[in-house]
Amino acid sequence: MFFYYCDLAWRSIRQTPMLSMLMVLAISIGIGITITTLNVYKTMSYNPAGDRSEVINSVQLWSQGLDTWDELMANITYTDAINLRNNNELSLKAATYRTGLALQSDNLKIEPVLNGVRVTDRDFFRIFSVPFLYGSYWDASVDLRPAYQVVISQKLNLRFFEGKNSVGKTVFLNRKPYQIVGVIDDWNPQPKYYDPLNGAFNDAEEIFIPFSLTGQEEFDVWGNTSGWKFEPMLTYKDRLVSEKVWIQFWTELATDEKKQSYLGWLTRYVEQQRAIGRFTDTAKTPAESVQISDIDKWLEDNNVVPKDNKILVGLSLLFLSVCLVNILGLLLTKFLKRAPEVGVRRAIGASRGQIFSQYMVEVGMIGFIGGVVGLLWAWGSLTALHSYFDMDQSVTGLDVSMWFITPLIAISTAVLAGIYPAWVVCRTKPSVYLKAQ
Amino acid sequence: MLHIKPILSSLMRSKSAPILLLLQIILSVAIVANASFIINERLSLMQRESGYAEDQILTFSVYNFDPAIDNAKQNQVDQLILRSLPNVIDASSSNMLPLSDSGWMDRYVDGPNPDTAKSTPGFAFYLGNEHLLDVMGAKLIAGRNFTADEINSSLDDSGMLALVSQPLAKAFWGDESPLGKTLYQGEQAVTIIGVVDKLQGAWVDHENFEYSVIQNIDFGGNGSNKSYMVRALPEHIPALEEAIRKALHAENPNRVFDNFQTLSEIRSITYGNHRLMATVLSIMVVLLLLITALGLTGMVMFNIQRRTKQIGTRRALGANKRDIIEYFMIENYLICIVGGVIGGLLSLVLGQQLMKLYSLPMVPIMYPIVSVMGLLMVTTLAVIVPATKAANISPAMATRSV
Repeated sequence: MFFYYCDLAWRSIRQTPMLSMLMVLAISIGIGITITTLNVYKTMSYNPAGDRSEVINSVQLWSQGLDTWDELMANITYTDAINLRNNNELSLKAATYRTGLALQSDNLKIEPVLNGVRVTDRDFFRIFSVPFLYGSYWDASVDLRPAYQVVISQKLNLRFFEGKNSVGKTVFLNRKPYQIVGVIDDWNPQPKYYDPLNGAFNDAEEIFIPFSLTGQEEFDVWGNTSGWKFEPMLTYKDRLVSEKVWIQFWTELATDEKKQSYLGWLTRYVEQQRAIGRFTDTAKTPAESVQISDIDKWLEDNNVVPKDNKILVGLSLLFLSVCLVNILGLLLTKFLKRAPEVGVRRAIGASRGQIFSQYMVEVGMIGFIGGVVGLLWAWGSLTALHSYFDMDQSVTGLDVSMWFITPLIAISTAVLAGIYPAWVVCRTKPSVYLKAQ
Repeated sequence: MLHIKPILSSLMRSKSAPILLLLQIILSVAIVANASFIINERLSLMQRESGYAEDQILTFSVYNFDPAIDNAKQNQVDQLILRSLPNVIDASSSNMLPLSDSGWMDRYVDGPNPDTAKSTPGFAFYLGNEHLLDVMGAKLIAGRNFTADEINSSLDDSGMLALVSQPLAKAFWGDESPLGKTLYQGEQAVTIIGVVDKLQGAWVDHENFEYSVIQNIDFGGNGSNKSYMVRALPEHIPALEEAIRKALHAENPNRVFDNFQTLSEIRSITYGNHRLMATVLSIMVVLLLLITALGLTGMVMFNIQRRTKQIGTRRALGANKRDIIEYFMIENYLICIVGGVIGGLLSLVLGQQLMKLYSLPMVPIMYPIVSVMGLLMVTTLAVIVPATKAANISPAMATRSV
């Protein structure tokens, strides 16, 4: 029966090509726009941490004075980072910031390039489940006593060492030799959730070096440094002892008990710091001066999905509803035109249910065609977004799930629009039309 | 006017089609009004004058990676090299690049005592030498620029001077001239010696975007990563990149050059999201009007087909073509105006929601009104074609057929 209805539906669609084309056009444009905005929204709001979203937590501290900033900063001061790193209660913890260094190898044929570099602790790799191709992260002792060790990406390994195991070999960063201890496998989380502050859809760094080198190497900070009081930073030492915030701090807290106990520790830490004259905003209690954010909250707080996108999704859904109303009108038009035919079929024994399902099949078919065309629109517009607006490939790639979601939305939209017209037409009284004939 | 009553009663008899039409118009007005408001807002953001000679400014960064380099000395040498290059009008180091979405923000206070001093609004904080103003192409409207012997090398030197942008001066001192006034940064005194007409900062969406200060510090000495701005005529800029690389590299090979961009390019990247939003919404509005018009045409066509007999009868009874067209037009306008009023109200509600959720400004009442007018025009076009067709049906044909 279903295939028979499909056949009937196809014939009916071909009988009124203009009207059918209008409907397909309307539904496909509505779907095209909705899928485009949904796709961008979906990839932007993706949480790369997956199951570990609640386990990975960043730490924020209200370290400012009274009447200064009115929100918690994503970064913390160097002083606090060092103190938090020294807390042995935590199983995994890492301070981190971004810098840039010129990279060279023994192979002098390759010109030096300026690379973004992540300065961090060894636990960073475990917290963010960074996969290794060769070797591993540096030893725990390096986080305490700085050593010139480095973890590089597979891509750099390919360029400088032809993809062979380079563990133990040396690369030069700003002309200083660093020993390679690990090569990470393909790893580029999008959004870049461990540091969305410097562009949430930038690529992951390809070089990782120990945070413990910060004091002696005085790395530039590639990222935001914010201060709430006047502190001229003439030397790097000034930066390290200042109240300026520029470091992110990550921990692994697997259970709620651990979170509670860590929050307790942080609160005591704030009290302790107040005693020595820091954290001078007394309008807040010590407990209010600390916050830990899991990845969901972190991505939300850092506005990874711009509000423009949310507005666009909303408007495109409204747009889709206009298309729906439009199709509803057109379907009503079309079905009522066929009322005489329905009258005859009813008279020779077709039940209302049969008529209804026949028309629903036809509507579904229009929806399906509209969905396929809409998918093409969406693909086209995403490609255009990528090429004309320099939007990132990771955001403008059509998500695989959309291949299923699109026809689903299209068919259900069409079916929703078709219910009323089909219902109207199946209530047709045979007698009226038989008489007319 | 006489026609309205029969039209109304016929509309009431078969409600579903007009209700759908009404619904469509309500939604369209709500969307078009809000979208065009956002479009207009973005376009006016993008049209603001920056105050810079945008297409004459080439910017780039130099990273000196040899630890043995004396950064301050290197900076002086580099600037001399840049200025000596052919076709270069002027060149300067800078701590930040205008419109680049990244930079320094600071504020001064009006007295040395931090407890009683009043603070200026936050401003973009440019550090540069006597060449910077020239390179930027910014217009000095009062006071004077720095001279070569007034340039400091560090934030804790004495003899700090500053140029302020006119909007900042207005915001802090009103109509009073800021020239000669002393402000403080910590204990450091800063004297205002000039006012620049326009000097935008780095963050295009920031409320203090027009507030800027240039202070007399040649910043190139701090840190190993430096930004430079070079001014040249647009036709000379393409060749300049290679010339700069060569000249600076020849002087000292231990460095990496990066981010060669004109200020116009930087501007276009920074405003990219706004341009994107305006484009996407414009496309949406056009498509929406198209779909509405097409859908409407389809429905009117059907209505006419259904009423062929009625039209024929009316024609036979003496109605002329104009009467028939008028009938459909009035029917359409009735629905449009009711839909427009409800849609206009809905768009204000929607606008209010957007304002609450995303802190957008409120949609002015003009937008729904103009949207309704636009829709009236589109629907007129969509109705007039089938209505004319209907009017051309000969009475004989119409009454004979089904």
